[in-house]
Amino acid sequence: MNAFRLSVLASSLISAAAMAQTPTLTNPAISAVLDGFYQNGDRVLGGREEGFGLGESELAISANIDDMFYGKVTTVIEVHDGDTELELEEAFIQTLALPAGFSVRAGRFLSDIGYLNNQHLHTDAFADRPAAYRAFLGGHYFDDGVRLSWVAPTDLYWTFGVEALKGEKLRAADEHGEREFDTVGVYNAFTKIGGDIGDNSSWQLGLALMDNRNGRLTPYEEGEEGHDHGDDAHGHSHSAAYTGEKTYVADVVYKWAPDGNYKYQHLTLSGEFFRVEDFKAAMLHEEDHGEEEHDHEHDTAKDHHQGWYVSGVYQFNPNWSAGLRYGELETEEAHGDHFHAQDLKETELSLNYHHSHFSTVRLQYTRQQGTNFDGLNDDNLITLQYVMTLGAHGAHQF
Amino acid sequence: MRINSKLLAVSAALMLGHSAPALAAVNVFACEPEYAALAKELAPDASIYSATTALQDPHQVQARPSLIAKMRQADLALCAGAELEVGWLPMLQMKSANAAVRDGADGMFYAAEHIDTLDKLDKVDRTMGDVHAQGNPHLHFSPTRVLTLASAITARLKQIDPAQAQGYDQRLADFERRWQAAIPRWEAEAAALKGTKVIAYHTSFRYLFDWLGMEQVADLEPKPGLPPSSGHLASLLERARQGDVKAIVVASYQDTRGAEWLSEKSGLPVLVLPMSVGGDDASVDLFGLYDSVIARLKKVN
Repeated sequence: MNAFRLSVLASSLISAAAMAQTPTLTNPAISAVLDGFYQNGDRVLGGREEGFGLGESELAISANIDDMFYGKVTTVIEVHDGDTELELEEAFIQTLALPAGFSVRAGRFLSDIGYLNNQHLHTDAFADRPAAYRAFLGGHYFDDGVRLSWVAPTDLYWTFGVEALKGEKLRAADEHGEREFDTVGVYNAFTKIGGDIGDNSSWQLGLALMDNRNGRLTPYEEGEEGHDHGDDAHGHSHSAAYTGEKTYVADVVYKWAPDGNYKYQHLTLSGEFFRVEDFKAAMLHEEDHGEEEHDHEHDTAKDHHQGWYVSGVYQFNPNWSAGLRYGELETEEAHGDHFHAQDLKETELSLNYHHSHFSTVRLQYTRQQGTNFDGLNDDNLITLQYVMTLGAHGAHQF
Repeated sequence: MRINSKLLAVSAALMLGHSAPALAAVNVFACEPEYAALAKELAPDASIYSATTALQDPHQVQARPSLIAKMRQADLALCAGAELEVGWLPMLQMKSANAAVRDGADGMFYAAEHIDTLDKLDKVDRTMGDVHAQGNPHLHFSPTRVLTLASAITARLKQIDPAQAQGYDQRLADFERRWQAAIPRWEAEAAALKGTKVIAYHTSFRYLFDWLGMEQVADLEPKPGLPPSSGHLASLLERARQGDVKAIVVASYQDTRGAEWLSEKSGLPVLVLPMSVGGDDASVDLFGLYDSVIARLKKVN
């Protein structure tokens, strides 16, 4: 069934992609992303697995629907543990002609919180998203809902937006399926400002707040097995492994190119900070404060997770670029009525060969050091990956 | 909608205690400096911003925050089109949420839609490199095409700002008079260049060479968009040694290293030409740009 659908998609792609350039009535922009890799170990928190594998193979179709609406569909095909998963990553409409700098996006789309989240994976300079993204957003967070954005009419770029989303992927674990989750679970507010410094440099700062109605853990029932809330329980779904009621994200990005000419050399520095608060179930929370005898050796009183990364990517010439990224993650994993503190540090070095703007071959070294993470056996990972795009490839974000 | 937003802006300005002009100046967003320069000729009172400089390759521009902010405020966007800006302009249109400059609106002007481009392709395949089916977009070195564009841009300005239609007509007539007077002068100065063979980087000066009767016999890029490779440069050296090539031409935003290697081996001079207004000291406007390019070409001939 899936295979049939895939072949239909593929054949329609092949017939159209050869011609697809500027989207027209009979010829919407059709693009595909091919991503394959070999890795010598498993990456924790839903990253790439050991051995040969495929990343997200993506097929996207987009065009203006009329003079008021733009539409885009992105399907992603992933293979995990021998299962081929067909997923809809984007299926949204966006207004083109609301007055006064307003726009509305509705359907399934990438949330605009953080710097990387609204960017597609294939534009990244590293094989996997930083640990903070894998832990708190399930790699990258796309969901069903609606967004309202506004851009200020000023020379300093300033945008502000709010999103209301289903939030199913960001629900706290529910062992028994008895919990009544809010059907609109996630409300986001974000703002970004940015500008240029002379002809050579550009910058952007972002702040976001996520209010997750379903982020707090389900109260623990005496005598139950602890609800293991990490990788194992969720397999390779795109659900977040750690949730909380409030998430705060701050991000900064700085780009530089000689004379502002990005053709040959350019540098991108970026960093993001995540803090996820209020995840303990109400009952557990009470116990922490009320019952002093509740003293487990692994338990901690902390009621937040935290993660951050900084990254620098330099393109030496049109053919070669290299990136260095370091990130840390501090999380609390629920084990029944208590928590185990977890800690992860990732240092990553990537070397990328670009034959053209559309093809990248990447060699990446990752050192992951952690405590209390299941499946963290290998401290050193080597990833060899290709990411290539074909068809009418859309414009990139800053 | 436009009038409403203008009224709003005026009343907002009044509330803030500023004395606003009766009509706000038209806000022009130019994708490349040549279109900013043309807008300056045709609408000198407009507020004009160029997204790129003559030192920046317009194929590879970041859809950066400052450009979104400028696009947000634009009444008219002037771009080359033919997919030159396909990697960044659609993102600016999407993110700026400005209905005035979406595709199909009066405020979105693509030059390539108003003239005949050279080198249109029936079939485009990425094995051919980063080529454009709609033809070569570097069309501002064709003086007759610039004339056509000037009148098409003026028509748009009049649609957007009808109150000053008469002024735009006068500016156009003035520009046409000066430009038409300059064309035979340039052609006379460049007469000796006819038939001159050069090796050049990309097809950046396709229209210039076409106009002046010059011939680009080889390209420093092995395929459009790909940087010069050593193997390809070696084959260019073979070509240069045939003795009929006069110079290696590179645009102001292009890397000169490949050209310099070839120059060292072949003895041919490297000529860096301003790609647009602002590309060298003499290129203060479109007239200065043409003067400068022809003067530089004549030096090697």
